[in-house]
Amino acid sequence: MAGKIIADTLEHSTAGSLDTQYVVNGSAKAWVNFNGTGTIAIRDSLSVSGLVDNNTGNYTVNYSSSMDNDDYSSTVSANASSGLFGTLQSEASMTTTATNISCYNGSISPADHAVVCLHTLGDLA
Amino acid sequence: MTQTPEFKGTHLFDRLCWAKENLEGVQSDYRVVYEDSIDECAKILVPDPNWMACALQGGILPPVWVYHELAKDEAQPDFKKHTRGYLLHTTEPMPAMTEEQAIEYLIMKDVPQHVWQEWNTGNKPKMVICRKEQLPSTREWRNAWKITEDLTATDIAA
Repeated sequence: MAGKIIADTLEHSTAGSLDTQYVVNGSAKAWVNFNGTGTIAIRDSLSVSGLVDNNTGNYTVNYSSSMDNDDYSSTVSANASSGLFGTLQSEASMTTTATNISCYNGSISPADHAVVCLHTLGDLA
Repeated sequence: MTQTPEFKGTHLFDRLCWAKENLEGVQSDYRVVYEDSIDECAKILVPDPNWMACALQGGILPPVWVYHELAKDEAQPDFKKHTRGYLLHTTEPMPAMTEEQAIEYLIMKDVPQHVWQEWNTGNKPKMVICRKEQLPSTREWRNAWKITEDLTATDIAA
């Protein structure tokens, strides 16, 4: 690939320096934004091979580039349609190649959401 | 058509970042409906547009057997972290696939093995590849969706 900079530290002229490990470790290794209603559809993503619609409000995100272990961190957010209060849980079923997520409404019942986002941080395999 | 750089030995994540920057996503109309457990409703696998673009382009994705090898490692009771992750990066990438070949690859990667290896050994097929518009357009009764009892392997082949 053209253009490669190898550096351990980034230094600003006045604001100090930053170890590049912070950049590598702090960058999302996978993310996805999808419509979880109707016939679900992915809007955009990085390092995701596909989604599985398991059930109402329950989806599995499959990764293209596997994580190193299953102790990574995933954050899920959802935007409910009008009249619904969107809450969300990330279940414990995380493997190095997939994360299972659940979405709920204000009554804590499983519900589909028009905008569901997940991003994952951690080490890649 | 954009030329894929020589990627063998390049970290898979770097290849995916290159693809994200250089390839247009491809929204596939194909969906894979499968039944993982008789106690659960049918599941639907949806291909990712950026992943599909990588599959059609060629020279980016590792062979599917690499994921199977990593899955074997992860299934070990003493698994802590991957020690053979290099397989993702150093194995010769897959050449360009057709959309249908890409769906077959995705099934072998993301659908449980016991489903795709024995999809037609029971009383009715456990897995069907269909078009998006063949799925119900509303989510009503989603928790009860099942592959129809009337479907036969002949229907699927047709």
